[in-house]
Amino acid sequence: MPTVTIDGCKVRVKKDATILDAARKAGIWIPTLCYHPSVSTDASCRLCMVELDRGDWRQLVTACNYPVRRDIVVYASSERAQQARRGVMELLLARAPESEELKALAERMGVYETRYPKVTESQRNCILCGLCVQVCEEIIGKAAIGFAGRGVDKAVAAPFRQPSEDCIGCGACAAICPVGTIKVRFHEDEKEIEISPFKSRAKMLVCQECGALIASAQVNKEALEKVDFKSERFRRSLRLCPKCRRLQTVAKLGTVTFVKK
Amino acid sequence: MISISTRFTSGSDIENFAKKLSSKDRQTAKAVRVCIGTGCAAKGSRRLYELFCEAAEQSSQDVRVEAKCVGCHGFCERGPIVVVEPGQIFYQRVEEPDVAEIFRETVVGGRTVERLLYEDPVTGNKAKKAEEIDFYKVQERIVLGNNGLIDPTTITDYIAEGGYKALAKVLSSMTPEEVISEVETAGLRGRGGGGFPTARKWRSCREAKGSTKYVICNGDEGDPGAFMDRSIMEGNPHSVIEGMLIGAYAIGSEQGYIYVRNEYPLAVEHLKMAISQARDCGLLGKNILGSSFSFDIRINRGGGAFVCGESTALMASLEGRTGEPRAKYVHTVESGLREKPTNLNNVETWANIPAIINRGGKSFADIGTEKSKGTKVFSLVGKVVNTGLVEVPMGITLRRIIDQIGGGVRDGKSFKAVQTGGPSGGCIPAEHLDARVDFDELTKLGSMMGSGGMIVMDEDTCMVKVAKYFTNFLKEESCGKCTPCREGLAQMLYVLDRITDGEGQVGDVERLEGLAELLEGTALCALGKTAANPIISTIRYFRDEYDAHIKEKRCPAKECRGLFRYEIDSEACKACGICMKNCPVDAITGDKKVPHVIDQEKCTLCGTCWEKCPFAAVLKV
Repeated sequence: MPTVTIDGCKVRVKKDATILDAARKAGIWIPTLCYHPSVSTDASCRLCMVELDRGDWRQLVTACNYPVRRDIVVYASSERAQQARRGVMELLLARAPESEELKALAERMGVYETRYPKVTESQRNCILCGLCVQVCEEIIGKAAIGFAGRGVDKAVAAPFRQPSEDCIGCGACAAICPVGTIKVRFHEDEKEIEISPFKSRAKMLVCQECGALIASAQVNKEALEKVDFKSERFRRSLRLCPKCRRLQTVAKLGTVTFVKK
Repeated sequence: MISISTRFTSGSDIENFAKKLSSKDRQTAKAVRVCIGTGCAAKGSRRLYELFCEAAEQSSQDVRVEAKCVGCHGFCERGPIVVVEPGQIFYQRVEEPDVAEIFRETVVGGRTVERLLYEDPVTGNKAKKAEEIDFYKVQERIVLGNNGLIDPTTITDYIAEGGYKALAKVLSSMTPEEVISEVETAGLRGRGGGGFPTARKWRSCREAKGSTKYVICNGDEGDPGAFMDRSIMEGNPHSVIEGMLIGAYAIGSEQGYIYVRNEYPLAVEHLKMAISQARDCGLLGKNILGSSFSFDIRINRGGGAFVCGESTALMASLEGRTGEPRAKYVHTVESGLREKPTNLNNVETWANIPAIINRGGKSFADIGTEKSKGTKVFSLVGKVVNTGLVEVPMGITLRRIIDQIGGGVRDGKSFKAVQTGGPSGGCIPAEHLDARVDFDELTKLGSMMGSGGMIVMDEDTCMVKVAKYFTNFLKEESCGKCTPCREGLAQMLYVLDRITDGEGQVGDVERLEGLAELLEGTALCALGKTAANPIISTIRYFRDEYDAHIKEKRCPAKECRGLFRYEIDSEACKACGICMKNCPVDAITGDKKVPHVIDQEKCTLCGTCWEKCPFAAVLKV
């Protein structure tokens, strides 16, 4: 097991673990945005820069995907590393000035404003970290969204920037979005769920008792297929909203006779 | 033409075949070689070739003449180029009506057509052969040597000039380790831009774990103004294939790929032909030349993204994914294409390999400087008299390339800077013209060798605009994956736009420098890491121009619109009225025999008067 000396703190990690793993083990905080343990690592946001000791020089590397293969010395809090991270953050703030999540992270890093104007015209407040694209493809298995365009015009979009038919309305993209740009909206009248900004819509399952919206019908169907649960009562209970399901359970409890031993 | 019906099954087969060819060649004493490289083809050389073929056919009873199309000679400025054997008579700027004359006088009559020879602009001497021309005198053509001699569409021509001899030698008498040592002795460094020692790359790939290994030829040449690799692939495709075969043998690979831009249709066509001929001859496929070594090559056409020239992006593209780079903390020689050990080299690097084996590593290493060996092909373009492809020994000074080969700056203007290394390179000013062409020397000057682009700029070039041009190019070509490259380039361009529009602010230069440093440290791939080089090098050498734009709102080269004005020199003005007539906003007033005047309030700086004035009386001030 190689040893990582990070800001003077020694930790041992498995071979091919990342610097980020080592830092977390050592209790050293390194900001991340595009990193998520559930999906593959792209290292595209460049926010987790740290300095790696190369003997006679120091190299800036991304902590999230630098594999530890032998004993290494890392400086996560050095002036140069912090300056690099702050520089990247300033660029991100110029791209997504309205994100509260990003502002909070920036403040934690000591960045309170950006010197740069907003010069890119494409997708509003998206930092193009790609987590939504990855979760849709790798975890949900749908690939309903992907990257369109290139360079500053790059954007996350469904094919041809039209509402996607492949979107099942699970909302995983909204859940994983680190800057709160992807949002889930409910349309009560049409009984539909919409994933914004992709405009993809999916029919929702309606509670059989009270008519409340529960979840995307397709998600419900696929979930049941996946768990392959035989009990019909369980299947039925999933067609109720959580509130009605609770009420049903309570009602059932009322009919049960407790026998004192 | 001789067709090959038999497959080569041993190294001596090739030698015998080459001998047979050379004896037959002697019988065909007369030959006309027409360049069909892209430059000459654009000027109609294909038609010239057809006309020569017709002429040769008609006169077939009197003389035996072979008309041949050959690859780029490099002297594209003077195309179309036609060379007549015997005597290697070098005709330039040949047009359709000249064909009959050349055929009658030179081919049949053995006389020279003086007016089609190259004339030295200074001495007025006419050059009969290529080597008498200054453009060729200084060059040392190893990689390009056979361009202009052989027909790229037939394997026989290549074999006649000693082709596949190196492969035969390697397979019959060298171990893979010996091949790598030979390349190491030669000191060959990657010609694609990085300058990484080729032998070290090969060895790491050979030693990497795994039985399936790939070799790739990077033909995704995308630098503005560069066409070195294009000319090699178009003019001598077999040299690339032979280099790849030798490399694959050394590394232990059975599958190779050539990734070539789809914008190079002729290169794709010639490579395809070459591969299929090599397969037919048993030079690609199973048990090559009777050995246990098997290897084949596939061509993949690129979709036009500049970033796909970056090795990991290229491999992603080969796999069918979006051409975006990935981190190289684990090298591609360990885990590259389809996560298998992969060795990628540039076209020119591969084309050097047969020469190294044939000459021996030591003799190759005699050329060049201590750490940069061999020759380098440059595409010399911009404001020089002679533009074209030049191959020079490493260590030659920039001055010799520009003044002697390039013939100096065009139109008697003075030299300002030379941009080397493509969009990620830098601008080198006049005071460093005596610097040697060498990987490390150019890097020290803030530029780089790159893949060999060389753009010469004269006094009328605004260096801020040059930086802006390259920054814009890279912004357009950035894949957009990583934050610093995507956002940083857009921000830098925003500042540069402001400066050239005359709205630069004090501190803009520092702002650019800050962004440049950020990009260099944090960008994901080499495109982003070096993207600020044009800005940094122009700030380093031409800071005064930035300051003039920002502080004085003045463009010293008078190129940035709005940062200079047009005025009429009253002494030079002949009051002809042409400017007045052409001015679209009626800003010019004057009368017969009265020098004209531009009303600066009305003038929109369109430059029409400046262009139209026959007496050069309109000045930029």
